[in-house]
Amino acid sequence: MADVMTQPARPAPKAPPRRTRAWRDILVGWSFILPNFLGFALFTLIPMLAAFALAFLDWDSYSTPEWVGLKNFQRMLGDENFHVALGNTLYYAAGHIPLTLVAALGLALVLDRKLRGMAFFRTAAFFPYVTSLVAVAIVWNMLFNPTAGPVNQVLGALGVDAPPRWVASTDWAMPAVIVTSVWRDMGYYMVLYLAGLQTIPKEYYEAATVDGAGAWQRFWSITLPSLRPTTFFVLVMLTIQSFKVLDLIVVMTEGGPGRSTKVLAQLVYEQGIREGRFGYSSAIALVLFLIVLTATLIQFRLNERRNG
Amino acid sequence: MIALNTSRRLAAVAALALAVTACGGSDEPAGGGDGNVTLRVSVWNLAKTPEFTALFEAFQQANPTIKIQPVDILADDYPEKVTTMLAGGDTTDVITMKNVIDYSRYSSRGQLLDITDAVKSTDTSKLAGLDAFDVQGKYFAMPYRQDFWLLYYNKKAFEAAGVTMPDKLTWDEYAKLAQQLTREEGGKKVYGAYHHTWRSVVQAVAAAQSGGDQLGGDYSFFNDQYALALGLQKSGAVLDFGTAKAQKSDYRTQFETGAAAMMPMGTWYISGILEARKKGATDVEWGLAPMPQRPGGTEVTTFGSPTAFAVNAKAEHADAARKFVQFAASQAGAEAITKVGVVPALQTPEITKAYFAAEGMPSDELSKKAFEPDKVVLEMPVSEKASDIDTILNEEHELVMVGEKSAADGIASMNERVKNEALD
Repeated sequence: MADVMTQPARPAPKAPPRRTRAWRDILVGWSFILPNFLGFALFTLIPMLAAFALAFLDWDSYSTPEWVGLKNFQRMLGDENFHVALGNTLYYAAGHIPLTLVAALGLALVLDRKLRGMAFFRTAAFFPYVTSLVAVAIVWNMLFNPTAGPVNQVLGALGVDAPPRWVASTDWAMPAVIVTSVWRDMGYYMVLYLAGLQTIPKEYYEAATVDGAGAWQRFWSITLPSLRPTTFFVLVMLTIQSFKVLDLIVVMTEGGPGRSTKVLAQLVYEQGIREGRFGYSSAIALVLFLIVLTATLIQFRLNERRNG
Repeated sequence: MIALNTSRRLAAVAALALAVTACGGSDEPAGGGDGNVTLRVSVWNLAKTPEFTALFEAFQQANPTIKIQPVDILADDYPEKVTTMLAGGDTTDVITMKNVIDYSRYSSRGQLLDITDAVKSTDTSKLAGLDAFDVQGKYFAMPYRQDFWLLYYNKKAFEAAGVTMPDKLTWDEYAKLAQQLTREEGGKKVYGAYHHTWRSVVQAVAAAQSGGDQLGGDYSFFNDQYALALGLQKSGAVLDFGTAKAQKSDYRTQFETGAAAMMPMGTWYISGILEARKKGATDVEWGLAPMPQRPGGTEVTTFGSPTAFAVNAKAEHADAARKFVQFAASQAGAEAITKVGVVPALQTPEITKAYFAAEGMPSDELSKKAFEPDKVVLEMPVSEKASDIDTILNEEHELVMVGEKSAADGIASMNERVKNEALD
């Protein structure tokens, strides 16, 4: 560190040139983020780059990797399991993203008032998010039990003759997973929305009320546009989270019945860790990464355009 | 160390290497010298799998210079964890082969040490399940236990229903019996039988008893067994698959609480019942019967799979590890695990006798007969494709059992998918 700092100073020893100070600032900055960056680089960045390289190799984790070019990607095109998993991932995202967004916003609006005991309800809404995911999945599985589950008992009491068989049915397993995930995640995004709501100046509402705007108009013309930065952030986070879904599905359905809830992240795990095809698995992971990246970039572009 | 006149670090490394080779090389203590070896063995759920402790204690007694250090792994994660360990160059000496599919994968990747000489130098005529580890004449593991499937039944439930367990059952008779045993008891349903959600309950039985090949790509031989399983489910004599799967049903609970009167299951569960009864967790009066058979068969054919120990190709103490693997497959090893109710791979009349002498074992003749099936077929044949095929058969099995597909459609897609996705 000392070397680096003194070296540029050598040609002009008298006045400490700007470059030295700039260097020092950079080093100080680096030293602040170093502990975090080291961990990130070691456990995320390097493995990620290695996985990118692996996507073009054939490797079983033991023998010497073999360069196969785009073969792994070619294989993906013809692999029905990949098609099924991609479809399921998109299905999950299409359900999870809008439903969680609406539920979180709804909760935030309901809980954004100064009433006694509101802290309790906010905590209650946040609670699912800090609960162990395995516990959540198992309890919801019990609720969705096709024969003895409370969900179907209630449906039966309401006069539904043939209630869905939820996780025991290919048509209803994914909706069951989506409901569970929305319930689990909405509390977290509610907190983000609550914070967003605090930033909207009260004067806007007062002025609108004076102008004779109703509750719906106030929501539509003030609340929603003012929450745009929050919504954007929530949307990006939800998209990334949705495409990466794995844990909940593994505990609830293991991808079943059949392949009806098998998602990409699960395929990555199966092909890599279980079948030992690390090249192919990395290729799928790379595709998943590109999908998430594209979706996020599109969101950024749309957001910029609206701001501009 | 002094002789190595290079940098300090190199000397330290060399010293370490010397120490390690010294440990690995001499299994006998060299005249009071410190020749102790710590052998690391990968195991699952150590606290709940008493055979490991029993085996380790017996081995350490026979080899006082070798200390065993178990590497405990959660049973559900075992295959994935071991795969990762081996890929990462882990030096755990002995790797337990929980199933044959994983064995074929590790051995084909060259991750296990060739121990053909150790196998050849042992009398293996009575060692069941060894064939499963034959990879073109080479052996990379040696079995120490051999589990096979039989029928567990609840004697009290039979009494209550006024029926007796016959010496021999065909599947049709089994189905009829299951219906007779199904009833309401104090508002709670007692099922005639419990079929666990594993595909083997249907598919491996069918393969073993009809001679079908689970790797072949033509699964019409599953037909009869699916008809039976679906029929029982439809009539309400067994807990339906979807419910069992959704509530992550535990077969132990099903049997030990008396929720089901009969249960086809592997012999590994014997030690589980013994322990549950010892702890007072259950008072189920249990017996064993041979697996029901297809009509016309005279022999008792069932399926099973051996469990084996293998030596890691990167083992730190390969010689000691080899010694342990041989010990586990020997008479002494078999006796040690017999005491905790585990079925050893070494099968002699003395060992069977010792097995039934254990406390809590049923003493009736039928149970003993059940313990000696005529033929035990490997649950899933070994092949590089086995794992992919296993995944496909499992997915389609689920679809058939939850009623999303008829058995015929399910079998048709098994044929198609295995041919297209795995065998091409």
